[in-house]
Amino acid sequence: MALAKLQLITIAVLGFVSTSTMADDGGSKIQHLVDPQTSIESWVLHDEGVEVELIQISPDQARGFFLARGFDRKNADFYAASCVLALRVRNKSPETISYDLVNWRYTAADGVKRRLKLKDKWLREWQQRGVSKSAQIAFEWSQHPSTQTLEPNDWNQGMTTYQVAHGSVLDLTVEWSKGDKRYVDTIKEVRCAD
Amino acid sequence: MWIQLKKFAVQINALRRILITFAIVSGLLLNAKVSWAANEEVFSPVSGNPVAPKLKLHDMDGKPVDLEKLKGKVVIVNFWATWCPPCRAEMPSLQRLWEKLGASKIQIVAVNVGEDADTVLGFMGTLDESPTFPIVFDKDSATLRAWPVRGLPTTFLIDKKGHIAYRAIGGRHFDSPENIRFITEQSEGSSMGK
Repeated sequence: MALAKLQLITIAVLGFVSTSTMADDGGSKIQHLVDPQTSIESWVLHDEGVEVELIQISPDQARGFFLARGFDRKNADFYAASCVLALRVRNKSPETISYDLVNWRYTAADGVKRRLKLKDKWLREWQQRGVSKSAQIAFEWSQHPSTQTLEPNDWNQGMTTYQVAHGSVLDLTVEWSKGDKRYVDTIKEVRCAD
Repeated sequence: MWIQLKKFAVQINALRRILITFAIVSGLLLNAKVSWAANEEVFSPVSGNPVAPKLKLHDMDGKPVDLEKLKGKVVIVNFWATWCPPCRAEMPSLQRLWEKLGASKIQIVAVNVGEDADTVLGFMGTLDESPTFPIVFDKDSATLRAWPVRGLPTTFLIDKKGHIAYRAIGGRHFDSPENIRFITEQSEGSSMGK
């Protein structure tokens, strides 16, 4: 009886410590993590020394961030209506990598492949909507760069947006190059925060 | 009864072995992560060593800081903002680097992007030790745009001749022993630069 209790406690502790699941897709691995304190979910793709991580940002977090940086409520709401994910790309390989978000695609439940709405397009909208210059600067540098080149040990993070409903699921196909080789992977069942 | 107790003791021992194994494996994984961090190279060489773009901005006291006038010294130029989590995280390590090497060996200039002195002072108040190297303000991000920066934080090592010699994208531990040794070598090297 005591042993059964101890076993249960052990399993519970191990479950608490190990909050990630791993999927192996050929040469790449995708890890799904859930923060035990905040319940924020993230997905990390590991492929040939490159890590691509997507972290949920809730509509409240996105709204609050931009309200604190000079956006008015209407425009902060407009941004937060998108599905927002922080994107972190880390180069742990010994070679230079580069990527261009223009080539990345996501697919939602309707099966349609879509391009990401990149920061240049957002900035044009903010200009039209009369967002202040200082707020636009904060916006511009908080978004993931559209193109980036990372040397070994470099990493970059920033927000990315997806035009799907909060709480819905998408598959993101990512692409980068290392030397002459092009890598394409899909991070499946990424859930937008709600 | 005695047999049951004996069985129970055997099971407890087996469980203990599992837990000890788990603890050792976890410790190894954590240590592996720590040793990776300790061995990371902070900077990557910049091909062609281009001349550093102009950087002439004012610090919190309104005092001008001009990169041109720092020729003859190795200068670390760090572009950052208070809303950028890795920028916040690496700031104490820049201060520790500054304390360890001192103004006789290097100069550090942290360029805040798009914010004002009150915002930066608010952030400084959250640190155990406020930076004592110059923090300058690039409110309209005009200086940042002239530099090869796509995301924050980005840090450059400028050689004694005023050329961009090395770059780091993403947060770093600037006061790692490897980096202190590396920067010391740069500062003690030929006055012709790196």
